[in-house]
Amino acid sequence: MPRIVRDADVSWEGNLARGEGAITAASSGAFTALPYSLPTRIAAPEGKTSPEELLAAAHGGCFTMSLAGELTGAGTPPGRLDVHCRITMDEVEGQGHLIVHSALDVRARVDGLEPDAFAQAVDAAHKGCSFSSLLRAAGVGIDIETTLEGGD
Amino acid sequence: MATDRNAKVTWTGSLMEGSGRIEGVGSGAFGPLDVTCASRAEEPAGRTSPEELIAAAWASCFSMALSHALAGAGTPPERLETSVTVTFQPGEGILKGAIEVVGTVPGVDRETFVEQAEAARTNCPVSMALTGVPEVTVAATLATA
Repeated sequence: MPRIVRDADVSWEGNLARGEGAITAASSGAFTALPYSLPTRIAAPEGKTSPEELLAAAHGGCFTMSLAGELTGAGTPPGRLDVHCRITMDEVEGQGHLIVHSALDVRARVDGLEPDAFAQAVDAAHKGCSFSSLLRAAGVGIDIETTLEGGD
Repeated sequence: MATDRNAKVTWTGSLMEGSGRIEGVGSGAFGPLDVTCASRAEEPAGRTSPEELIAAAWASCFSMALSHALAGAGTPPERLETSVTVTFQPGEGILKGAIEVVGTVPGVDRETFVEQAEAARTNCPVSMALTGVPEVTVAATLATA
């Protein structure tokens, strides 16, 4: 399979405290010039995205596809997966600000799936998700809560 | 103080025939955005992907870190234009991040700007979360007046 390349563009004007930037999904054009700033990154978002929120969307998206792939491969494709991802950034003594945690809350509706098989698929999805792997390699904690709903 | 940011994603159907949606994010800044296996692995066709979102997170975090370092040295930037390219190989993972930044920074010489960009590449929180990416490059140039 060929390599996949994706680009994003950001412009920033001014210093950190009072400056402002704009974030564009350059490959797809799916979003354009989303504003962001320091105050809205670390305090109330006031409608503005941030690097951590984009990471939450990326990790949620990557894990969800990975789980859909595992369930499909096991012969039990999902009816529906609902995944919530929460990324936490914190100040760590001596290291400055770090991404410290990602929490995934997974609700799945899958016909004919037993709880054990679901747990195996979640485990395989976590191992196979490329973004989960990177976060683990960097020492970022990852918690996964799962709920299997009866599919009917 | 810890900062939490969140996103909600749904998926319906099998991996190849099904489709996903980034329903929304805590700030409300974007969404819903559709994602599919084909638009992740082939042409984007207007759809974002985890790799594009990582590129966006990285470019935005790097830009803030560089702005902070330049201001701390007494030379805040007028403008930074940053592009990040993330390269993903199915089956292997994310192989490369390429950061390109063009700065308009009064009072800074090229060498200092390159040093500051290298430091931001190493130290920004998103870079610190992506230390497992095998190859990360940064190309920093000053805009010509």
